[in-house]
Amino acid sequence: MNAFLSWSILLAPITAAVLIGLFTKQNSKLSSKLSIGAIGFSFLMTLLLAAVNSGTPEIPVTSSVTWLEVGGLKVELGMIIDPLSMMMLLVVTGVGTAIHIFSLGYMKDDPSLGRYFGFLSLFTFSMLGIVLASNFFQMFIFWELVGVSSYLLIGFWFERKPAAAACQKAFIVNRLGDFGFLIGIILIWSITGSLDFGEISGAFTENPALLGASTAIAGLLIFCGVLGKSAQFPLHVWLPDAMEGPTPVSALIHAATMVAAGVYLLCRTLFLFELPTSWPEDFAWLNGVSSLHIVALIGAITSIMAALIATRQDDIKRILAYSTLSQLGYMVMAVGLGGAAAGMFHLTTHAFFKALLFLGAGSVIYAAHHEQDIWKLGGLRKKMPVTFWTFLIGTLALCGAPPFSGFYSKEEVLLAAYQSNVVLFVLAAITAVLTTFYMFRLVFVAFGGSAKSESADHAHESPSVMTTPLVFLAVLSVVGGWLGIGGYFGHFFDHGAVHHGHHENQTVVMFIGIGAIIFGFFPAFFMYHGAESDPLKKGLGGIGEFLKNRMLIDEAYQWFISRTHEALARLADWIDRWILAGFLVKGIQFTGEFTGRALRLAQTGNTQTYALLFGLGLAVALFVILL
Amino acid sequence: MNTSLMFLEILVALAGLGILVGDLWTPDKHKKKLGYGAAAFLGILFLISFQVQVGNVKYAFGGMYILDSLAIFFKRVFLLAGGVVMLMAVEFTPKIKRGVSEFYALLLFALAGMMIAASAYDFSLLFVTLELITITFYILASYLRSETASLEAGVKYLILGALSSAVLVFGIALLFGSTSALSFLEITETLGQSSGSLASNPLAIAGAVLVFAGLAFKLAIFPFQFWAPDVYQGAPSPVTAFLAVGSKAAGMVLVLRVLFQALPSITLNWSAFLATLAIFTILYGNLAAIPQKNLKRMLGYSSIAQAGYLMMGIVAMSSAGASAILFYLVGYAVTVLSAFLTLTLCVNAIGSSEIKSLSGLMDRSPLLASTMILAMVSLAGIPPLVGFFGKFMLIQSVVESAPAGWGCLVVAAIIGVVASLYYYLGVVRAIIWDKSPNTELEKIQISTPSQALLYAGIFMMIYLGFFQNQVVEAAQNAASVFNF
Repeated sequence: MNAFLSWSILLAPITAAVLIGLFTKQNSKLSSKLSIGAIGFSFLMTLLLAAVNSGTPEIPVTSSVTWLEVGGLKVELGMIIDPLSMMMLLVVTGVGTAIHIFSLGYMKDDPSLGRYFGFLSLFTFSMLGIVLASNFFQMFIFWELVGVSSYLLIGFWFERKPAAAACQKAFIVNRLGDFGFLIGIILIWSITGSLDFGEISGAFTENPALLGASTAIAGLLIFCGVLGKSAQFPLHVWLPDAMEGPTPVSALIHAATMVAAGVYLLCRTLFLFELPTSWPEDFAWLNGVSSLHIVALIGAITSIMAALIATRQDDIKRILAYSTLSQLGYMVMAVGLGGAAAGMFHLTTHAFFKALLFLGAGSVIYAAHHEQDIWKLGGLRKKMPVTFWTFLIGTLALCGAPPFSGFYSKEEVLLAAYQSNVVLFVLAAITAVLTTFYMFRLVFVAFGGSAKSESADHAHESPSVMTTPLVFLAVLSVVGGWLGIGGYFGHFFDHGAVHHGHHENQTVVMFIGIGAIIFGFFPAFFMYHGAESDPLKKGLGGIGEFLKNRMLIDEAYQWFISRTHEALARLADWIDRWILAGFLVKGIQFTGEFTGRALRLAQTGNTQTYALLFGLGLAVALFVILL
Repeated sequence: MNTSLMFLEILVALAGLGILVGDLWTPDKHKKKLGYGAAAFLGILFLISFQVQVGNVKYAFGGMYILDSLAIFFKRVFLLAGGVVMLMAVEFTPKIKRGVSEFYALLLFALAGMMIAASAYDFSLLFVTLELITITFYILASYLRSETASLEAGVKYLILGALSSAVLVFGIALLFGSTSALSFLEITETLGQSSGSLASNPLAIAGAVLVFAGLAFKLAIFPFQFWAPDVYQGAPSPVTAFLAVGSKAAGMVLVLRVLFQALPSITLNWSAFLATLAIFTILYGNLAAIPQKNLKRMLGYSSIAQAGYLMMGIVAMSSAGASAILFYLVGYAVTVLSAFLTLTLCVNAIGSSEIKSLSGLMDRSPLLASTMILAMVSLAGIPPLVGFFGKFMLIQSVVESAPAGWGCLVVAAIIGVVASLYYYLGVVRAIIWDKSPNTELEKIQISTPSQALLYAGIFMMIYLGFFQNQVVEAAQNAASVFNF
């Protein structure tokens, strides 16, 4: 039953993708029905699967078929169903369904709607594959498939130059991380001889020192994959640019699924990070630092950095993109600090409210005729009430205001930080202040005040096909904290549930969290309520410009790449052009061509010449044979 | 006398006569149908030929005519090629101003000549049948009397053909003078006797060289190949196709019989000499084809190169080599006939056989375009098409028997294959990528029989690339007549 359900969950979207790709691409209506039907079916099957397994959440259920066996390498296609994957399945299919339906309205007039839904289904299939993967090999395949399908979706409007550039950037940056991931997989396989998560973790239970000196290295290599997919510093640069894709895609990829895959991988392979850390001799100076410390540090850096940048962005989707980075940093930091349950809890609620915010932004963009600059919007509160109220709910949930879902999950993240590392906790608290600040800045400027452009002036509420998913997600954003998701994960990660019996800590953290909201809200209120232009522009001076330019990280990469990679590429190009193509290839071609032309001279077309050559040839032949 | 052994040839010749007679009662507009009738008749004969059981070797006309598995193998190849060429000729009829029926009849006579050549076991029959083939081709090559190119092709072929016939006759005379025999059987015996002293007689050896030269002319082997490009280009396309497939195969069967059945005691020492010729032929054909702009002329050079590859099987001097030659000829026939059928149809529609005039063919007729592309790819010897397997067998046979100088030969063959990619794929490029200057070209209409034939050609090129067993077995069976 479990096997059948999980296979049907996985295979429904790819069936739709194949059917759309092969047959119905030209027919946008049928394609969208197929795609939405497929993910709806997956969602229902997931609910059924959850119901079937509700009694036994502790035992991971796996089912697998051997795919290929070469030498010592045995590759299986497996399905793993435990609380971790169960919840991810619900998030991916549930939020995914809402986003699919929303797309129907948002993309209504696009001429290649069939292609869009085909890609969407392909993406869903890949993401579900990651969630259900029972071994590293399968995980990696679907990992790359997610990379490819996100590339296709981000570059969906490939005729627009920024979109074409953005999808390449996303793909290449992800590949950079995946390279480390792949090496990590090979390293683990070479030592343990297995790719299966269950087998490997079993081997570690027996012998925690199995990986020897490469324990920390192996973990960090796997973490490279997380850096790429979950857009952590320093590989975060692709995500803001990926906003060039259609907005529902941003909601799907950059809120609920793809970026969550990194955190999911981290939790799935947590057994690897929890091994006693040991470093090779060259890294002896790192003794005492565990790989999880590094994970937590990276998460914290990402979260504060992205939050700072978000305060100075003007594009509604970019603000949300940096906000996503910041929240992903939270999750990674939580996992790094031993709060895997908190991280996954925040991942789940974040999927709800961030998808809601992106779709809300999509609704605004749709209504305002693709105007994305918040300083050209304004006054939408009255014109788009459903969008406004749902967006506000999303904002409050993101800021962590009680009793919205974000309040509960963020509190657990902060708690995890508070209990293990004060510095990181302070960073996290500042991030929370900044989060409230930039989100209310967005709300006040875009929805409050008066319309600042003609397109905003003429905006009106989006059709119900778009507002219904908003309401659905808004409900989840409100109630997401009360469903016991945190406890559900807490049970799964035995040692993740550190907060039991620390009521004083919990109270302190709760007050700090609420204080952060107040500290963020009032500056935003005073500065941006009814503001016509950004007072921070002058107020912050050089730092403001620095933040507005995304801390110049892209520029630094550009500078670095142009001096290393591109110099190398130019050298290779030179060698290829002059030595290989020029001297070797052209040289051979020239010799052939020249000989051919020379031989043609014998072919005069003159019969006498031919006869003469015939005779000469005969004479030579006789001469050779007889003498 | 056992004339019943010759019933296939007799029927073909009768069909030719029948067309000439039938022509008198057929109104002009229906003359085309005579060609369809002849093609169908050849198809039926092709099927009947599989009923001919060759248990023991049978002789007719006092040992001049032999019917063994080799002969029947070649007769089938000729009948198949003849049928296809006949359909090609039907497609070609709009270009022939007068004498359509005679065109068909001449093709049939040439075909009868080739079929007899497959059974020639005596130098006198060899000469007669070769003349039957060649003289018909003189007429066929110059059949488009209003076109100077066609006339030029005919005249060149006539003059140089006469030269080669003279050399051939001279060679036969020398051999007769030294052995006082014309039958292959008797010559072998005579040369084999007296502990080989006669086999080292310069007169006999010179005779063998001259006979070989006369036959090598038909095969277009270096240095007797100069006529090929000019004649291929000028002759009507169906004639060129028949020249490329039929005449070459007839030359090949005669070369095989003369070298390995009539004069083995002389020629078995020739492998270095033959390898040299093969190397030159391969390099000459492939390199000189590179700058060509006309598809028919390019195919002329290509046919020289293919003759060079075929020579590899002779150089191997083994039954593996001989069966490789036979397989290669089948694959070559399928491929070249497909190419020329496409060419004939294209020339009808486009009016030019320049390679660049094929641009835009993919849009105008995907069927023609894909047949031509496959034919080029197969000729270039790219797997999995039939041309690859044939070349593979030939090279393998040379490597296995490792005669003197085989290393150079294999290297030359590989260089030739690589160089040939350039000009074969140039045709593919013209078809697929080159932009046609005239964008408003209409689709090309193809008659049903030709369509069926094109599909059959595509099928065979691919099928034989994957499933060679039947043909390879038939070839091995046919090659078993040689004792190495």
